[in-house]
Amino acid sequence: MLTRFLLRRILTSAVQMFALTLAVFFLVRLLPADPVSRLVGMNASPEAYAQAQRSLGLDQPVFTQLLNYLGLGSKSGLLQGDLGVSWLTNTPVVQEIGMSLPITLELLTYSFLVTLIVAVPIGVMSAANPGKLVDKAVFIYGLFGGSQPEFWWGLLFVLIFFSTLGVAPAPLGMIDPLMLPPPRVTGFYTLDALIAGDFAAFADILHHLMLPVLTMVFVLSGPVIKMVRQSMIQAHASDFVLYGTAIGLRRGTLTNYALRAAIAPTLTLVGILYGVMLGGAVLVENVFALGGIGQYAVRSVLAFDYPSIQGIVLVITAISLLIYLALDILYALIDPRVVYS
Amino acid sequence: MTQVPPLSAAVPARRRSRRPAIPWLLGFAVVFAGGAIFMAAFGGYVVPFDPTDSAFMPSMPPPALSEVPGLLWSLVTGSQTEPIHWFGTDSSGFDVFSRVLCAPRIDLSIALASNAFALLIGIPFGLIAGSFRNPLTELMMRVSDVLQSFPVFISAMILVALGGQSIINVILALSLLYAPIYVRLTRTEVLTQKSKGMVEASRAIGQSELNIAIKHILPNSMGPALVQSSVTIGFAILLTAGLSFVGAGVRPPTPEWGLMIATGANDIVLGQWWTSVFPGIAISLTVFSFAVIGDALERRYNR
Repeated sequence: MLTRFLLRRILTSAVQMFALTLAVFFLVRLLPADPVSRLVGMNASPEAYAQAQRSLGLDQPVFTQLLNYLGLGSKSGLLQGDLGVSWLTNTPVVQEIGMSLPITLELLTYSFLVTLIVAVPIGVMSAANPGKLVDKAVFIYGLFGGSQPEFWWGLLFVLIFFSTLGVAPAPLGMIDPLMLPPPRVTGFYTLDALIAGDFAAFADILHHLMLPVLTMVFVLSGPVIKMVRQSMIQAHASDFVLYGTAIGLRRGTLTNYALRAAIAPTLTLVGILYGVMLGGAVLVENVFALGGIGQYAVRSVLAFDYPSIQGIVLVITAISLLIYLALDILYALIDPRVVYS
Repeated sequence: MTQVPPLSAAVPARRRSRRPAIPWLLGFAVVFAGGAIFMAAFGGYVVPFDPTDSAFMPSMPPPALSEVPGLLWSLVTGSQTEPIHWFGTDSSGFDVFSRVLCAPRIDLSIALASNAFALLIGIPFGLIAGSFRNPLTELMMRVSDVLQSFPVFISAMILVALGGQSIINVILALSLLYAPIYVRLTRTEVLTQKSKGMVEASRAIGQSELNIAIKHILPNSMGPALVQSSVTIGFAILLTAGLSFVGAGVRPPTPEWGLMIATGANDIVLGQWWTSVFPGIAISLTVFSFAVIGDALERRYNR
């Protein structure tokens, strides 16, 4: 059952990815932007313009461009796992994404870990006494945190913790510019520092991640707390908790049972948010100059760098689809009642 | 020891998971959002300075909090005839107070217009997709799926930057990105309405399917989409501000909150907090107000 379900899911995901690839490809070419003049400048001679156009491959018919991009033409392309070469830097897009994606994943992973650590107890507390003062405060925060301009909060935290209190480092990247970054193994700064045994660098990286993670947790915990609260209240109202109450189980034990039932929807939300935030962390990355995939996206979009733009959208969507797939599998493992058809 | 309710009296989970009601919060939200809408209409006429005209006094801090009552009094008595830079000036000498109050003209217009366009696209397509099930409408839903799987912020950036950074393009981009939400919401509601007795009765008296869809199903199916609007408007404001913050939205010197925060971002390290703190407070409370109103609407109409 599960295998058939998975096969079908993978197949639909693949079709969706292909449709998305085509959509992005034609979208960037349909919009009235002129990447050639952005690259060679407004005052370039017609010859220089024509030559740049030729070297970017934009002189060819769109259909030929598509075949080349997909890897069905003479050169390697998507089918060979090649996302092309950035027009701005002349570096392969795969390599640039390889540099920036781990930074975003690192930021998000820490942020979601802290969010869960903060949100689950608060949500449980809030659900224990619905309608009381704590619940009301949590409810207001849930609405507030979920509707905030995170970039502004990031700047506010810089103003408070860096400019005024001086306890946070300047918002200038993952590690002190004067410090040697750890040798690159996984691309994840903290992991690389640990692998190299460089604990000074490890501490410095955590120090630099402090404010970006705080900013993310501030906006992310709103919806997560809301979800924990709601699922807990629903679990408390369910028959198995009623049965537990009837046979005289203690309140703590019942909360534990209810929490187990509430954790599945919460994890789903976290998974979905993780996928959304892959492209949504752009603003926080920008404020703290972390150099993640969001910042790479901003640079590429403003430079009309088609291969990079296409690669970024493709990779981000692929990862989100993978997360959804993983969530479905996880669901089946956590909850044996889930039936796939 | 509390009495355990008997099984038959089990309260439905829905009623027990009700969110706490906080009336004063809704009151605040309505007043604040109303004020923002008022400013969108009349902000340009009530502010003391031209929002895009330099006062030739760059980076002037706002008056200290202790001076504010005295300054207000001198305005009332008429001893102070010069207008005051309540929120200071930014690095170009623009009056921050006037810019913050004029920005709803841009931010709210974009949010309201893009939401309206998204509804105009989303509801009819949702109605068609729900009323008629054939390969064409199936394809429509798949297209909507693909549109929805795009990373929102990055897509908005692509659409606006490559389409040309103008207000109208921000509106078009946002409506395109939000329309699939409305297609889905309306379609789901149409599917529930279709099974109602009134539809069968209309069919029995010989009305055409198209007539039923437009006259009977449509008015009953717009609710969820309209309720969602308040939330969408809030998010559209955030997205508009975010786009200009990274330089992919409207262009300076347009008085727009995100743009103001972006220009103030560099000053914040120097301790000049006022250029970005005030517009940030404005966005924060405006979007929060729309979220509170959205929550109240959802409570009222979606059971």
